[in-house]
Amino acid sequence: MADAQFDSALDLLRRLNPRDTKTNLQAITTIVPDLTEDLLSSVDQPLEIRRCPQSNRDYLLCDYNRDGDSYRSPWSNEFDPPLEDGTVPSERVRKLEVAANESFDVYRELYYEGGVGSVYFWDLDDGFAGVILLKKGVTPGSQSSGEWDSIHVFEATDRARMSHYKLTSTVILHLANKTEALGDMDLSGNMTRQVEVDLPVESDASHVANVGRLVEDMELKMRNLLQEVYFGKAKDVVGELRSLGPLSDANRDRETQREMIMSMQK
Amino acid sequence: MASTVELASSFIEGAPPGELADVVADVQALTEGEDIVPSLLPAFKRYNEAQLAAVKLPGSSQEVIVSGFNELEDNRYFDPESQTSFEVDHTTQTASAAQSYALESEHADLIKSLLKLFGVHAREHYPNCSYGVYPIENDTVIAIVLVANRYSPNNFWNGRFRAIYQLPVSSSSSTLTGNIHVDVHYYEDGNVALNTTKPVNISIPSVSAESIVSRIAAAERDYQEALNRAFVQTSEGVFKGLRRQLPITRQKVEWEKVGGYRLGQDISGGKGR
Repeated sequence: MADAQFDSALDLLRRLNPRDTKTNLQAITTIVPDLTEDLLSSVDQPLEIRRCPQSNRDYLLCDYNRDGDSYRSPWSNEFDPPLEDGTVPSERVRKLEVAANESFDVYRELYYEGGVGSVYFWDLDDGFAGVILLKKGVTPGSQSSGEWDSIHVFEATDRARMSHYKLTSTVILHLANKTEALGDMDLSGNMTRQVEVDLPVESDASHVANVGRLVEDMELKMRNLLQEVYFGKAKDVVGELRSLGPLSDANRDRETQREMIMSMQK
Repeated sequence: MASTVELASSFIEGAPPGELADVVADVQALTEGEDIVPSLLPAFKRYNEAQLAAVKLPGSSQEVIVSGFNELEDNRYFDPESQTSFEVDHTTQTASAAQSYALESEHADLIKSLLKLFGVHAREHYPNCSYGVYPIENDTVIAIVLVANRYSPNNFWNGRFRAIYQLPVSSSSSTLTGNIHVDVHYYEDGNVALNTTKPVNISIPSVSAESIVSRIAAAERDYQEALNRAFVQTSEGVFKGLRRQLPITRQKVEWEKVGGYRLGQDISGGKGR
């Protein structure tokens, strides 16, 4: 029944407060320790930042650059704490990884104007896979803050002069606000979308451009979606709970409108 | 290390509006083999009282509130408006064994007028709500509570609005204190939650049902307006500051070119930066 328990764990995490995902994940794996590995690799959490001792640059931690208790820096390809035989990509895929890190660094600067990014690739039997991570936090006033984490996982499967790409993207967005008139307001959560597409590949450089465009289009879509849900949908539901104007007026307006339509139909 | 019952209790108490049954089903699946629900009874009770669970009176469509303010004895609660007391099964959120109940309070007249006027206010602004007015603290304080729920699981959203006020009534002027909470959950292809807490502190120069209800109505209106403004301000402010919709050049990245170029150079379509 492990599959059913795994599904229940995911369902529970989709219902409980997204701000507490880390605590709730720990609680679930304390109750059912067998789920730990599967849950850690399928539940997205806000990314942690570490400084690469070789390059002195920040990079992001996730399950894909972890080996035991060590994490691989995308800048130096070294593990911290150092590992004798840590898993690293093949020479060809590492080359692609370096190029992708350079390209996504430009992307990050253009769209995020700051923040931290990291790209990790790994080999597959019939292609390769990777994860593009982007993180930015802002605290414009002492009383408001925002944090954005993008996690894009893709697989590129080789086909003749083409590659099949499957991209799963999650954005975790936390927003908090506090003023005298407002009290505490917390808007937190995550949304996930998937896309699959075949694209032409002339050389390895095509892969970076293909993945780049897929991620760029996906982030544009998801940014619009987040805007709609966080600020449109949430506000609409508040309006469903409480009406600013008196409901008797609204009912009377509806009644008047109905009568007008009825009289026009006569 | 926390026990399974403690951890499962925190899940119950963290259930979003309208999704308690779903959370219970998940908890049961995770603890399969044990009959855990009976040991979660205290958590169900805390959840129902904190969330102002609305239960239907037996043989009636009227919903009445379960809270920490209207408990008579173990799991028996009273509703002054319908003059009924009832027993609550906290795990199923159902009421049974209704009996007539006569309110005993020095402030019975004020409570009756408050129920009438607050009811008018509630029906004018909350399409689906329950409310209650109770004497508490040995009849020295009046508690006024309201809960409004809208559940739309087919569209993957649920919401709850709670207002909880207390007013000491031992002197003719007083201060109403409390909190307004709004919780919204949206969970289509994701999990997004709005949680708010707005402390309320209103001085009531002369205690009467009219002045109390009109001040509550104004505070709730002001709060909803502040919340609506905050959605716009957060969208225009913090959200924009996290990620731009398009680069400053208003052009998408030219991926074939960026690999070989470095930052600060001409990287996004020939316009420069």
